[in-house]
Amino acid sequence: MSETTYVQLLYLACGGLLLTSVLMLWRRELAVLIRVFAVQGFALAVIAGLAALHHGGIELGAVAVGILVLRVGILPWLLRRAVAAVGPASRETRPLVNVAASLLVAAVLTLLAYAVSRPLVELAPAAATSAIPIGVAVVLIGFFVLITRRRAPSQLVGFLLMDNGITAVGLLTTAGVALTVELGVALDVLLAVLVLQILTGRMRETFGDTDVAELRELHD
Amino acid sequence: MNPTGLALGVALVLGVFAAVLGAATRKHLRARAVGAVTALCGAAGTIAGISAMCGTRYYAAFPALLPLSGVTITVDSTSGLFLAVTGAVAFVSAVYGVGYARADANGRLPQAVFPLFVITMMLVVSAGNVGALLVCWELMALCSLVLVLTEHHRRPEVARAGRWYAVMTHLGFVAILAGLLVFTAAADDDTFPALRVAAHHLSPTTASVVFVATLLGFGSKAGVVPLHVWLPRAHPEAPSHVSALMSAAMVNLGVYGIVRVGFDLLGGGQRWWWLLTLALGGISAVYGILHAAMSTDLKRLLGYSTTENMGLVLIGLGAAGLVADDPVVAGLALAAALLHMVNHAAFKTVLFLAAGSVQRGAGSRDLDALGGLSGPMPFTTAAFGLGALAASALPPGTAFVSEWLLLQALIHARPSAGAAAVVMMPIAVAAVALTAGLAVATFVKAFGVGFLGRPRSAGAAAARESPASMTAALGIAVAVCAVLAVLPTILLSQLGSLASGLLRTGSPAAMDGIVVRLVGVSGALSPLMLAVVSVGAALGLVAVVRLVLTRQARRAARLWDCGAGPLSARMEYTATSFAEPLQRVFDDVVQPETDVDVTHARESAYLVEAIEFRNRVLDRIERWLYTPLLRAVSVWAAAARRLATGSVHRYLGYGFYTLCGLLILLAVTR
Amino acid sequence: MSALGIVGGVVQPLAVVAGSPVLVGMMRQVRARLEGRAGPGIAQPWRDLRKLFGKEPIAPRGTGVVFRAAPYALVATTLVVSFVAPLATVDSPLDPVADLFAVVALLTAGTVALALAGLDTGTAFGGMGASREMTIVALVEPTLLVAVFALSVPVGSTNLAAIVSSTLRDPARAISPASLLAAVALVIVIVAETGRLPVDNPSTHLELTMVHEAMVLEYAGPDLALVELASAMRLGVFLALLANLFVPWGIATTAGPFAVLGGVLALAVKVVVLGLALAVGEVFLAKLRLFRVPELLAGSFLLALLAVAASFFLA
Repeated sequence: MSETTYVQLLYLACGGLLLTSVLMLWRRELAVLIRVFAVQGFALAVIAGLAALHHGGIELGAVAVGILVLRVGILPWLLRRAVAAVGPASRETRPLVNVAASLLVAAVLTLLAYAVSRPLVELAPAAATSAIPIGVAVVLIGFFVLITRRRAPSQLVGFLLMDNGITAVGLLTTAGVALTVELGVALDVLLAVLVLQILTGRMRETFGDTDVAELRELHD
Repeated sequence: MNPTGLALGVALVLGVFAAVLGAATRKHLRARAVGAVTALCGAAGTIAGISAMCGTRYYAAFPALLPLSGVTITVDSTSGLFLAVTGAVAFVSAVYGVGYARADANGRLPQAVFPLFVITMMLVVSAGNVGALLVCWELMALCSLVLVLTEHHRRPEVARAGRWYAVMTHLGFVAILAGLLVFTAAADDDTFPALRVAAHHLSPTTASVVFVATLLGFGSKAGVVPLHVWLPRAHPEAPSHVSALMSAAMVNLGVYGIVRVGFDLLGGGQRWWWLLTLALGGISAVYGILHAAMSTDLKRLLGYSTTENMGLVLIGLGAAGLVADDPVVAGLALAAALLHMVNHAAFKTVLFLAAGSVQRGAGSRDLDALGGLSGPMPFTTAAFGLGALAASALPPGTAFVSEWLLLQALIHARPSAGAAAVVMMPIAVAAVALTAGLAVATFVKAFGVGFLGRPRSAGAAAARESPASMTAALGIAVAVCAVLAVLPTILLSQLGSLASGLLRTGSPAAMDGIVVRLVGVSGALSPLMLAVVSVGAALGLVAVVRLVLTRQARRAARLWDCGAGPLSARMEYTATSFAEPLQRVFDDVVQPETDVDVTHARESAYLVEAIEFRNRVLDRIERWLYTPLLRAVSVWAAAARRLATGSVHRYLGYGFYTLCGLLILLAVTR
Repeated sequence: MSALGIVGGVVQPLAVVAGSPVLVGMMRQVRARLEGRAGPGIAQPWRDLRKLFGKEPIAPRGTGVVFRAAPYALVATTLVVSFVAPLATVDSPLDPVADLFAVVALLTAGTVALALAGLDTGTAFGGMGASREMTIVALVEPTLLVAVFALSVPVGSTNLAAIVSSTLRDPARAISPASLLAAVALVIVIVAETGRLPVDNPSTHLELTMVHEAMVLEYAGPDLALVELASAMRLGVFLALLANLFVPWGIATTAGPFAVLGGVLALAVKVVVLGLALAVGEVFLAKLRLFRVPELLAGSFLLALLAVAASFFLA
């Protein structure tokens, strides 16, 4: 694979990463969110795969396969199950910040990501590192989704978005990620998803709803 | 004395003469005499300005004229630009005033002060030292205040507007005073060359204090958010020819101050200053046009639009300072800002004067009560339509060229200009673009609702066209607008060399007569070709349709009324209803107050007898920033009343104690 | 002013005027077939235009010169754009006018003329349509200009010919993230500007949902024909611009007859493909509530801004 093709494909995958994050902020149906999440996982796997091909590392190749299995296969499946259990009310009806405003906030967050990650890029200027701001932007957008959504499943999506962003930053820094680290992170995420899935189930049983605001009832 | 000085001198003498005429002539002659002589004064000022822009500088010193500092007059090319704009606006307003003031503002005081206002503005930009600048600035503020208050005995809201204006303009003056005095303290004397020398060894903190204080002071005169609150109150309440002079000429002096202090005297300075300027500009542009879009008072709408346009100018200034490392783009941004300022002066004159004609002809400036003016007031309608086209950044309009230049400058800022620049440029482009979009909606509303359709009130139905002097003035202003729209190149090369002089770099925009071609970056635009092709296409189309496709005459027919009888004006969309969707979209930003009162019939709660709907869009910044401030001030004032008991001895005592205290302080510290 | 530019200046307006109604006819036919109707055939818009041009011109009482002039202004601005923009040939007869900002502003000027005509009628419908249309225009403008910004940053110019020929030279640019994001943003904007679903329904005459149709309700006969022709032309021009900004291949770069013919054919193919995709998409869409439209436009604005960001990040 020539250098320019590698760069083109890498940037394309990064663009896909950013586009899917925006869509996850934009759309509110959980089913759509999960589909978009799977696409994003694929984009992430492509980034890892490209890095593996370019640097010729077996470990990175394994990471790519792992990402593909976990983020395109297992996590969406788990999420879909959680949503299926929730039933028809599977729509983020009223996020804390309205959609138009949150889209504008995302725009600002992206520019912020660019501003803060410039020093990182300048440490080792290369084709891959110059895409780091995109990873940081995905992290910030994920965090924003996490804090503005009312329903536990869509908060979960925000959490996963953040994790995708962190992985992307890891992959894009020239060193790449060690297999063990990636494995550990993957297990962590899996665990978190399972825990949250159980929590969602319990919440629905207790309150008949997955609105996180209801947790305030537990306070006193 | 060179031509510049001669013309300036003539302008000043004519101005004083006009003021004397205003105070001394009989009532029926007054408007004509003052108008004619002030117009000549404005024309002389324009000539002086153009001569200075062409390179004939003028310098004179009158050490005895003002205690301590004396008066220095320096007319360089920067002064020349502002002098020419002020003179031109004064010329048109004065001609308009012949017809307009005779009916509405023909008192001895307003007529005598009007020419004085013109010459104080000219003196502000010609002042060559801080002392003279400050004195002229204050005189200008006082003159404009008197003019704003012209109609105070007829309408109480004029007095309220005057109070806001008086307080805000003096706070601005205090800021300028503080900033310039700090600056002068570091220099040998208070002339501009001495300040330029002093700027080199000014500590960064002091320089920042000077810049921020003057930015706030001059910015308040330019109506920059959040110091804009006086502008949409005071500009509409003044007589219309004064409104035009204030909105098209006086606000420019705020820009003059920022350019003079920031670029010329301080020589650029630190990057965050310009980031601040850019941010203030962006906020002003969007906030101003948003409120203009919601306004139903025609002159208030124009006042908010002034805030918007000054915001755009500040975006240009900020961008120029921000990318000062890149001389080509910086020069382009500065030239774009200055061109936009000139364009704004041209179209805002047209719009305010046309609004004055409407107020006079139709008896109202409330858009909800206007409409149907294209029949009875054809000239005014055409002038306002062309002015609105010029203001809404559509081709072949005036503002289109300057906004195109501004966008070119923002687009060509390279990533090497630093993270701040890279992050700010897309935001600035978005702000300019949103402003442009909202400006289109605003002026479609102002023109479409105010002038087209059918009359919404008896006054509008009985409207009549203005006298010849007023339409003539409108015609001149429209002609200037049109020339600026299609041939900006005649001005742009001058502005380019002016900008490069201020930034000490090469010229940013070249010209070959009809095409604006940027130098150093790629980009070309020919407004003349655009206008000719568009008009040609439209005429060709008319010919084809009329001669080839349909040859029948038009038949008059009824409008579609759903078969329910003739339509009345009450069924028309009003300005309020026109802006309602926008108001809903920007609900979170403007937070309108809406009340609906439903009165039910006595017989049944299901029958509605009357519905009352009230909708007010208040200035949110005013409510959040100024209301608490005013409350705090009044609390303090109440506390201070205890000091004033009415005893004369006590008052004298205060003076005595303060004097003694100061002396003791001196004795201790020295 | 090159020979190619002059040829383009002659061929393009003719192609746009002749082809746009056919494009609209095709889109309607595709929709009809997908919805299980027979459809009137692709030449129906031209038959409608012929009929309308043959009718008597009408001057509704109470309307003025703005109402009469608006259809001409609308068609004229679109004609100018099809004259100067690189649609079938890469050169422009008037290069200093073929600027992306100028073209966008010209098309907006046409919309403004129609909105003023709506207000000039003094009817509730006219005002309603004008108000809604201007709201949408005000919100579309930022996206449009920011997308333009994203496209011109890598090229260093907003000149259309420069952008098109730069993509021709460097085909990899077409799949860069910046241009993909900008493309998505521009598609949404074009849907809003040309009044297609889900922003506006071109085939509705229901009072509460009309936008474009409400403004032109009072037009009849030849005036209506001009308005209909103009909206078809605008659709064609917008789609052609979209196609050439991102997929310029096939555009004529020399003035030979075969090259120009090839350019026109390539243009037709690209526009038809885009138009059919739009038509097929519309079958599955419902009209958005008017007050949900800003959400859509905010999304497209974000995409445009991300395109700018990407063109800086990955520069």
